Amino acid sequence: MKEIPVPVSLLEAEAAETSPRRLRRESFTGLGLLTPAIVIVILFSLAPLAYLVLVSFTRESTFFFNNPVYTGGNYRTIVNRYMPHVWTTIRLATLASIVNLVFGFPFAYILARKISYRELVRTLMVFPLVGPLYLAFGLYYVLLPNGPGAPILEFLGINATSLLFSEPMTIFGMALFTFPFMVMNVVAALANVDPTLEEAASTLGAESWQTFTRVVFPLSWPGILAGFLMCFGWNLGVYVVPILLGSTPQQRVLSLTLQQKAMSQFDYGLAAAMGVVLMVLAFSVTWISLRFSRGALGA
Amino acid sequence: MSGSRPIDLPAGVTIPEGAGGSSSWKTVRTVLQHAYIWIWLVIFVIPFLATLVYSFESPKGGYSLEAYDFVKGAFLENLVYSLELTLMAIIGNLLISIPAAYAIVRHNVPGKRLILSTLNVSLYAPAAVMGLSLLITYAYLLDFMPLTHSTWGLLAAYVVGTFPLMLLPIIVALRDMPMVYQEAAHTLGASRAQSLFRIELPLLGPGIGAGILMTFVIVFNEFLVTLFIAGPENQTAALRVYGLTRTAGFSQSTAAAAATMQLVSFVVVLVFFKLVGSRYLKGTYFA
Amino acid sequence: MSRVQLISVAKRYGDTVAVRDFTADIADGEFVTLLGPSGCGKTTTLRMVAGLVDPSSGYILFDDQVMNRVPTNKRNIGLAFQSHALFPHMSVAKNIAFGLTMKRRPKAEIRNKVEEMLDLIEMTGYGDRMPAQLSGGQQQRVALARMLATDPRVLLFDEPLSALDRNLRDTLKYSILELQRRTKKTAIYVTHDQSEAFAISDRIFVMNQGRVEQAGSQLDIYLRPATEFVANFVGDNNAISGVIESIASLPDGQRTARVKAGTFELQGYAPDTLDVGDEVLAFVRPENIEVVGQNTQQQADGLVSGMVEQIVFEGPTVRLNVDCDGVLLNVSASGVERLTLLDKGEKRVTLRFRDVSLVKQ
Repeated sequence: MKEIPVPVSLLEAEAAETSPRRLRRESFTGLGLLTPAIVIVILFSLAPLAYLVLVSFTRESTFFFNNPVYTGGNYRTIVNRYMPHVWTTIRLATLASIVNLVFGFPFAYILARKISYRELVRTLMVFPLVGPLYLAFGLYYVLLPNGPGAPILEFLGINATSLLFSEPMTIFGMALFTFPFMVMNVVAALANVDPTLEEAASTLGAESWQTFTRVVFPLSWPGILAGFLMCFGWNLGVYVVPILLGSTPQQRVLSLTLQQKAMSQFDYGLAAAMGVVLMVLAFSVTWISLRFSRGALGA
Repeated sequence: MSGSRPIDLPAGVTIPEGAGGSSSWKTVRTVLQHAYIWIWLVIFVIPFLATLVYSFESPKGGYSLEAYDFVKGAFLENLVYSLELTLMAIIGNLLISIPAAYAIVRHNVPGKRLILSTLNVSLYAPAAVMGLSLLITYAYLLDFMPLTHSTWGLLAAYVVGTFPLMLLPIIVALRDMPMVYQEAAHTLGASRAQSLFRIELPLLGPGIGAGILMTFVIVFNEFLVTLFIAGPENQTAALRVYGLTRTAGFSQSTAAAAATMQLVSFVVVLVFFKLVGSRYLKGTYFA
Repeated sequence: MSRVQLISVAKRYGDTVAVRDFTADIADGEFVTLLGPSGCGKTTTLRMVAGLVDPSSGYILFDDQVMNRVPTNKRNIGLAFQSHALFPHMSVAKNIAFGLTMKRRPKAEIRNKVEEMLDLIEMTGYGDRMPAQLSGGQQQRVALARMLATDPRVLLFDEPLSALDRNLRDTLKYSILELQRRTKKTAIYVTHDQSEAFAISDRIFVMNQGRVEQAGSQLDIYLRPATEFVANFVGDNNAISGVIESIASLPDGQRTARVKAGTFELQGYAPDTLDVGDEVLAFVRPENIEVVGQNTQQQADGLVSGMVEQIVFEGPTVRLNVDCDGVLLNVSASGVERLTLLDKGEKRVTLRFRDVSLVKQ
């Protein structure tokens, strides 16, 4: 049998596809295109955060001088005196995220499966997203003794003024801001559950709660958990809601203490240590949440 | 056609009792479901509407536009500054995100996942932490780069904190875009640059639009990082509103400023939805 | 086992009517197919029987019991989905056991039933596999086992084979028929594929735009289409328009009409609704047109002559396009004589029509 000669050009093309040199050139171009992003992230995110960690080990504001004193004292101070603020932060974030889960899941389920005016919902959901500042400000006004909410709440048997500067109101304000995050995560999770699976379950005799526990939940819980953790992560950094809707001693969160230590008392060392605590909390939560929400933000 | 005509049932037909669930219960359930959504929709807009109504109230009783004199006067400067800053942040994000998106989707870069999650770091750091770390960094760099209390300092903070929100929709759009368009452009004699500007960027339009929207909403309303690194000379509008709630207390002018900020943001989002739709906002906070 | 009745069932979505005035009486153990193009309302009808869609009006009865207000999970039905809808997070055995688990049957009973079902679908030993590890055909068989495991009173099929490739479709449709015959359960089968419908049904409902165009046996549907839509939708057909000149009753009660169509005349079966003078469409299937003579011009009763325009050899048949004085006919010739047609010299043919059906225009 005669051998058929392979055309030279074909050989070259094949070689070009897989040659390590070409691959290396590809990655160089790629890295080149990524350079601006990497540079700005290193300069304005990674380096400052690393510097924050460094400063957290200095005494008071010694980093402004040439020979800073390194100590673990700031962390000892946090453990001895500021743990209530850490717990408050975690408590408020947990409760607000639970509120999100309890109220956001049914909302997301109805939104994904039952109604047709999704665009309207999506548009109006922009209002809480625009920011906790305006949200807290608006709720504050609604609850004022002469505000518009007072008569309605009075009618429901609730004293509006008692709600203002209270923990439930703080949690509600925080939850309202993160509500869309929860809803969108659950909607994305439900998009992965084919509605015909729910129909199949009901043709096989399952009650709606059985369909939920046996089919919908097992298939969507990673997204639900991701949503919960994302809300939790956002709520850890809460700052303005407790100021406007809570009372300072009871709802004093870490961000607020940190800001006051740094901006009013110029104790940058302690503030930085608080920042590190907050950062570690937030990053660990985010890391877990990204493990579960494959593709939502992690690409 | 047979809408209201009563239908006779044959003799001997029974309607089983206790089968559970009746169509009236189904109707009630449907109504409850819609009601639940609407209750929340009302809650979403109540803070804004209340603020808006309050801003129209005159201290002397009745309603007036008096409070908006403040928005048109002293606040206008902050508003313009904020819009300028937001515009610059959008441009900065575009310049960084488009090449980065190409690198991630079209090039074989080692450690892609790690790079991508590193790029997102400042998105996940709490704002107070970002603010503080930038504050001390800017102070440290004062002798080399005057970033403290400067527009450039704010801009860098905004870009690093929001460009991932621009990057992601562009990555999604780029993945959706088949290579054939680019290849077709090349076979028709287009250079790399011609193909980029005439074919690819227009096709990426919606994705880029989504990124612009995200950047706008976040940067325009950001006040916490700003609180740490802005000086008295560069007060953004959002920071001014925050400052007013702390100093001026609960006044009509504060309400007017807050309402204006929300209205501007909402209109921008609305215009975006009308023009582009929400397809490319998938996986983001808006959809 | 159940008798299923639909009485004037309709479904409207706002102004659009998905199903209008559907009435049917399906006997215990009968295999009925709803056949029609997509969007004709066949799936909506099936989903109303399943309780997944509420009818806007009308009644659905199982064994003389009104089902309208009975929720899906209390109707005791089995539904096979186009996408098979196996629960992806459960093993094959768990999927098959699902219905019995919902009914809280004893563990031992469930285990036996699962084994029995796996045997039935010839997949013994596959119980621990996950759905993703199965081929498309296996998945659909598991779905069938899952729906049979609860011993449902009615079997419903929503295009269960349309996602599979052709060979698999052919074998599975006979498996479905066999399962239904063996279990003697009432079955309603939705499809847009007429060969599927003809192969397995006792009775076919042809639907179009929410309405039943014709209900009847395969032969009725194929040879006596009641409407123009049915004639065109089911198989190839030639449509010739004409006017009825006379009608005669045959001894067996059928009516035959003589139709004048352009320059020629033909005979066809006329339903009772037609009268002399009506404008009608005469439908003749290509295989029911016989080539009786070549290169001759015979003028006899029931014969038509025309010019051959095109000849396509398709193996078992030869397809001819024949121009009969302006009427283009599609003729499918089989048998040995088809080969003689391939001689390109033969241009003029004489045709005889059989089984002509008439539909009011």
